[in-house]
Amino acid sequence: MYKSATQQKHHCNTAVGYIKIKMMKRLLSVIVFVLLVVQSMRAQQYDLLLKGGHVIDPKNKIDAEMDVAVSAGKIAQVAKNINAKNAKQVIDVTGKYVTPGIIDMHVHAFNGADVDSYIANGLTSLPPDGFTFRAGVTTVVDAGSSGWRNFRQFKKQTIDKSQTRVLAFLNIVGTGMYGRFEEQDTSDMNPQQAAWMIKKLYPDIIVGIKSAHYWGDFTQVDKAVQAGNLANVPVIVDFGEHDPPNSIEALFMQHLRPGDIFTHTYSYGPKVRETVVDENQKVKPFIFKAQQRGIIFDVGHGGGAFSWRQAVPAVQQGFLPNVISTDLHSQSMNGGMKDMSNVMSKFLALGLSLNDVILRSTWNPAQVIKRPELGNLDVGAEADIAVFSIRKGDFGFLDIRNTVLKGTQKLETELTLRAGKVMWDLNGLAAQPWENELKK
Amino acid sequence: MSVAAYAPAQQYDLLIINGHVIDPKNKIDAVLDVAVADGKIAKLATGIDSLQSKKIIDAKGLYVVPGLIDMHTHVFVGSKPGTFADGMYSVSADDFSFRSGVTTMVDAGTSGWQNFPLFKEQVIDHSQTRILAFLNIFGTGLSSGQAIKDISTINEDSTVAIMQRYRDLIVGSRIGHFDGSDWTPFNTALDAATKMNEPLFVECHLPQYSLRDQLKKMRPGDIITHSYEEITERLPVVDSSGKLHSFVLDAQQRGVLFDVGHGGAGFWFSQAVPAFQQGLAPNTFGTDLHRFSMNAGMKSILNIMSKYLNLGMSVNDVVTRASWNAAKALKHEELGNLSEGSVADIAILNLQHGSFGFVDAGGKRLSGDKKLEAELTIRAGKIVWDLNGLSAQPYQR
Repeated sequence: MYKSATQQKHHCNTAVGYIKIKMMKRLLSVIVFVLLVVQSMRAQQYDLLLKGGHVIDPKNKIDAEMDVAVSAGKIAQVAKNINAKNAKQVIDVTGKYVTPGIIDMHVHAFNGADVDSYIANGLTSLPPDGFTFRAGVTTVVDAGSSGWRNFRQFKKQTIDKSQTRVLAFLNIVGTGMYGRFEEQDTSDMNPQQAAWMIKKLYPDIIVGIKSAHYWGDFTQVDKAVQAGNLANVPVIVDFGEHDPPNSIEALFMQHLRPGDIFTHTYSYGPKVRETVVDENQKVKPFIFKAQQRGIIFDVGHGGGAFSWRQAVPAVQQGFLPNVISTDLHSQSMNGGMKDMSNVMSKFLALGLSLNDVILRSTWNPAQVIKRPELGNLDVGAEADIAVFSIRKGDFGFLDIRNTVLKGTQKLETELTLRAGKVMWDLNGLAAQPWENELKK
Repeated sequence: MSVAAYAPAQQYDLLIINGHVIDPKNKIDAVLDVAVADGKIAKLATGIDSLQSKKIIDAKGLYVVPGLIDMHTHVFVGSKPGTFADGMYSVSADDFSFRSGVTTMVDAGTSGWQNFPLFKEQVIDHSQTRILAFLNIFGTGLSSGQAIKDISTINEDSTVAIMQRYRDLIVGSRIGHFDGSDWTPFNTALDAATKMNEPLFVECHLPQYSLRDQLKKMRPGDIITHSYEEITERLPVVDSSGKLHSFVLDAQQRGVLFDVGHGGAGFWFSQAVPAFQQGLAPNTFGTDLHRFSMNAGMKSILNIMSKYLNLGMSVNDVVTRASWNAAKALKHEELGNLSEGSVADIAILNLQHGSFGFVDAGGKRLSGDKKLEAELTIRAGKIVWDLNGLSAQPYQR
């Protein structure tokens, strides 16, 4: 609700602007001319220029060699052959790919020192900065590590102290992911409190509601959707741990709304979670219908939720994830998941184009979480930018069942900018040769 | 009775075949197979029968080396803002270790005698990475990272008592971050180390102690870190004309150990390159891993090792400094080697060839054509990192 109001305002401004332009066309051209003269006199209007790279910006349908200029932490220009003289710093990114800063829509970042807790303020959550920038990620979305009772601690402890932009799904359980046992308490699933926390307190940070790890029926999902309705935000569901599994067809067709998110899409643990691909390697027909209905499918790789035996036939049969994400936590970081660029590379190995992989890691998640200002290189957008190289060679990609899929290319993060600032520079692209120091 | 009962049982859990083994302690630098059983190194030899092992890893074209030891880290992570001890300036060991071939991290005095037990309970006991520690002579450990003047938390008896009680985890004492001319903190740390027959670790931010005096007080086996820093508060080892101070080289020749301690501000090519050319190579490759170095020029111990490869060190030389040299310095000679019977901490590395750049603390770049990458890491016989699925089964389409 908060966001749509902002968007509306934006549209109004644009409309008024358009009329003004029509009315004062002559005057404007004079102004433009004067501005150009002033600009050519004024030295170095850009702080930073990424020169010679191949820009992929799915929102703006750009997939071509272009330069990207940054000024005051914002994207200033995306165009061919921007004059290097206009920038204070020029970084040569020839042969590399320049994309919007990657959005990892599923992480657990509520790191803390409570050794008794599972994910909320616990050791299983990770401080995000050590994993994000080196993988091209500039925004993470915490997937329900906190609930309304401990979100403020999460904010104070992690969100406010991170260089990575941290957004969050709020767990429908008040204590968040303290432990599996606590997550069963239906009396601590309060849709009204959750919705008020989003609407009244943190509309800028909380993007949706999480439902996860429930052993019972549809009660938890329904309460999450209730909260989602009250706050006008999407719900993300980890629908595991029902023994026997609950029907995902019922989940998609009866309980969730278009725009709600199903995560751990390619998980294979049939005893507690219904799979999207059946035992004959066929994608279940209702899965396509669900995606057409508007259900969002998220990868959420994690330590136990990504199997080639699901992902390979799914992609071959045309069922692609809407969003690629990691489910980063301490039990996934050193396994098959590793980091976001590795998970993205897996989808290259599955045959998706780079453009398609970037789309599902930038503009798609931005839309899903209703943050259209993110995940793109619009002029005026915050300059969150990733620069990747593609390594060629023989690579192997592990799933969580210790099977490996071979691939010939792998994304490597050369450079990551957050709000115009270089946060990661693998090979010193932004640095001067050290010998220059001796020539002073 | 079945035939199987007569067949030899698979006596090894894991067999790494065809790798180029570098085990500096045992002076091995050759293609050999490495067998692991019960979490220990069982055998090093050529042509070990693969039928004898439950699992085979083909390491052809890769280096097989002892699990790396990072001599200098800050891993007393907690939720307190603005501090290293129990705080967010520290990082979690497991987040960074295995993906860079490290199986042992040594915390450089983030805790002192007052909070080491908390460090142990909260971090060390929950970590898959082996964590050892130097104990800070200041009782509360390392707070904001600023040099402090208050010496009231120093207590030699309590320090020694904690060092004794946790003898298997604490490897020495540590002095750093003190802004005073009084030598009491330095001397007390040295005394505690001497009483324990362990090394003293000398960190940065001691603006009122001259480098010459620090090195003069240090015994053979004591360790100075941030060896190649170029900041105003400590005399750089290389003078403004590019010449290495002779007293620095003398100290190393006398047995004082020089650790890299890269960190956010501790490693400058303008120091390291001329120092290396004039004979001052680092003894160990401590990273000084913490929140402010992890994403900067430091990145990982493999990145630091790669810097030295490109300065002209051999693979054997860089592995030596990141394994056996460190184990000896810590007086933990059971680590950093592949002797039969040793705990099976193993790193399998690949050497990439290409066009790479390496950044120092001053934001300056060294270009190079070699770079190490961690393929697979084994901690006590267990695979804890497998970059390309070397140990996995192929997925059958």
